[in-house]
Amino acid sequence: MKKILLLLIMVLLVSCSPLAQTEVAGNVDLNDLQPLPTPAGHEVVPLRVAVAAVISPEGTVQSYSPFLTYLEEKLNRPVELVQRRTYLEVNDLIEHGEVDIAFVCTSAYVEGHDTFGMELLVAPQVNGKTTYNSLLIVPSLSSAQSMADLRGKVFAFTDPISLSGRVYPTYLVHELGSTPEEYFARTFFTYSHDEALRAVASGVADGAAVDSLVYEFAMERDPSLAGKVRVIHRSPDFGIPPVVISPLARPQLKVDLQSLLLGMANDPNAQAALASIGVESFVLIEDNAYDGVRELLGVIPIPAAP
Amino acid sequence: MNLQLLFRRIWNLAGAVSVRTKILGIILGLVALLGTGVTIQARYALRATMTAQLEEQSISVARDLAARSTDPILLNDLLGLHDLLEETIANNPNIRYAFLVDSRGQVIAHTFEGGFPLDLIYLNSVQSGEHHDTALIQTKEGFVWDTAVPILDGKVGMARIGLSAASMQATLSALTAQLLLTTLLVSLTGVLVAVLLTWILTRPIISLAHATQAVARGDFSPRVPRWANDEIGDLAEAFNQMTEQLSRTDELRKERETLRRQLLEKVITTQEDERRRIARELHDSTSQNLTSLIVGLRMMETHCAQCAAQTKATDLRQVASKTLDEVHDLSMRLRPRVLDDLGLAAALERLVSEWQARNKIPVDVAMQLGERLPGEVETAIYRIVQETLTNIARHAQAKSASILVERRGAVVRTIVEDDGVGFDVDTNHGERHLGLLGMRERAELLNGRLTIESSTEHGTCIFIEIPLQGEKTRVAA
Repeated sequence: MKKILLLLIMVLLVSCSPLAQTEVAGNVDLNDLQPLPTPAGHEVVPLRVAVAAVISPEGTVQSYSPFLTYLEEKLNRPVELVQRRTYLEVNDLIEHGEVDIAFVCTSAYVEGHDTFGMELLVAPQVNGKTTYNSLLIVPSLSSAQSMADLRGKVFAFTDPISLSGRVYPTYLVHELGSTPEEYFARTFFTYSHDEALRAVASGVADGAAVDSLVYEFAMERDPSLAGKVRVIHRSPDFGIPPVVISPLARPQLKVDLQSLLLGMANDPNAQAALASIGVESFVLIEDNAYDGVRELLGVIPIPAAP
Repeated sequence: MNLQLLFRRIWNLAGAVSVRTKILGIILGLVALLGTGVTIQARYALRATMTAQLEEQSISVARDLAARSTDPILLNDLLGLHDLLEETIANNPNIRYAFLVDSRGQVIAHTFEGGFPLDLIYLNSVQSGEHHDTALIQTKEGFVWDTAVPILDGKVGMARIGLSAASMQATLSALTAQLLLTTLLVSLTGVLVAVLLTWILTRPIISLAHATQAVARGDFSPRVPRWANDEIGDLAEAFNQMTEQLSRTDELRKERETLRRQLLEKVITTQEDERRRIARELHDSTSQNLTSLIVGLRMMETHCAQCAAQTKATDLRQVASKTLDEVHDLSMRLRPRVLDDLGLAAALERLVSEWQARNKIPVDVAMQLGERLPGEVETAIYRIVQETLTNIARHAQAKSASILVERRGAVVRTIVEDDGVGFDVDTNHGERHLGLLGMRERAELLNGRLTIESSTEHGTCIFIEIPLQGEKTRVAA
């Protein structure tokens, strides 16, 4: 009797002991708190590349990874991707030399060039052009035919200083003799073009203006979007969002990078990297390509940096 | 062998305790066994379920954290990351810690305050392409499930959360405690039930035992109540039938015994009366006639001295004298008048002296009787002593014998001893046995007791005790 009882107690104790079946990975004292080590400095100073939030941060990483890897291999130095929520934050990084080069929005370039001398490095060429448009999009079921039909609706802007995402639609509203605040029931910022596209596709917004390059790229990547949104208006051509270099960067770096980027179109190894960011080739571009944009910005000024 | 020993010990133990303890043991044992079994099973099942749930929770929380931290990491939104971690901890009380590691293995945000347990970083990791990786980590606070989930397929880094098993252990302990408490309460109820059951079960058994003891004492009157229509009830019924049967048989036996006693008494009385009559007849009539014959013959001898028949007459007188002696002797043996006339003491002295003279064996007689005893007692003692002396003369080859008769209060005690060869008392056949049986019957008729001790070394001793007031209760002849 006693033995049986003892056996039962032992079984009970065994079943009490925790998690006998899982192997313990290790032992740690969670209350033994120590300061985190400061990150070891890079042995080689990386090339820091900023990408303005034209598309979502996650999408940016996926799109730019092959391109950055290509740069790393060619330059034989690490390349670091830097992202910020707003265009102005990126401009700030360029102004203070915290990044070396950046993919910026057209209006951000105009703003940067005119305020602190942001320099053009190259311009991407897409479909044989170095221009792009702002597309006014609505949900495919919407009956709207023009900006005039979007009065009293919900409108999604991308970034406060985005040319295609805010300045141009604001200009269209201005032409109709109003301001977005009066004209739309509500507006909001998505901070990237693919998010604006998504806002319209999901019906959260009744309309949005997006970068034609992003729009086409997104349609290619996700064909199901085509059935959800409809383009009702295309803007005149604007100078394409350029690749810029910090005014503080070494001149030699500018020369090296220019030759590298310009040569990509002829490098078979670069095709995947180019395709990933939706660019056919990089070409040189002059500042006057953006004069049309300057005119528009004269009518619709971008808000000052906070 | 060992098992057999164990079994025997258990059997002895189980056999030694009362039915009450056995029933209590059965109930408590069953409850304890059931309680323990259920507790083990419940703990096991609950632990398995909770472990699976916790692991699932840890993975889902970690994946959620990884998904939501992607943009803030990419945008270098450290405040946003901090808020995200705080929120994760706040929404999941089970989570002990959460932290984010960038692609270079640097901790960029964590929920520890004032430092970081550096060893923790290396205890778990996840490769790009993996869905998640969960590791069990032992801490001083208990076990923690550490789940690592890659952020943006590892390009951005990894999210790590630690889910404490403490709450699960607490739940398990609470459950165990509750189940054991329930078992205890049920055990207590079991004790009450056992007491009740025992009472129900043992009540008829105890009354049966009492009744059996009464029957053993010869009292057939008790009847056992039939408490329930079960096996014990059947037993009680059977017992009652048995006692009834026994009671009837006993009555019958008593009746026969009484009848036998009456018969025996009648026989003895008739025998004594007949002997007395024959003895008186022999003494009064036959002896007188013989005496007259002897006197006549003597006169014949004297008066006709010249007769030729003188010699013949002398012979005849001698024959007649001898016959007279024999008649006296016969009369004496049949029923000594002295017993009726002078009492037991005188009769015994006479009997002994004649016996001594006949057998040449010295007999020591001691008598303390005082006044005369009732006739039946005197006769019985006389006959028993007479039979004993006959036996000694016939079988004992004794060199001496002794007789003690004394009255002690209401009891007359008689002891007859010899130093002869003795005999086997337990032999229950033969002439001597029949004689002993007769002696015992005589004693028992008067509610007395006869004991015989005999051995080859010490001869035979017959011990008779007869109560005097006992005659009042005995059945009258």
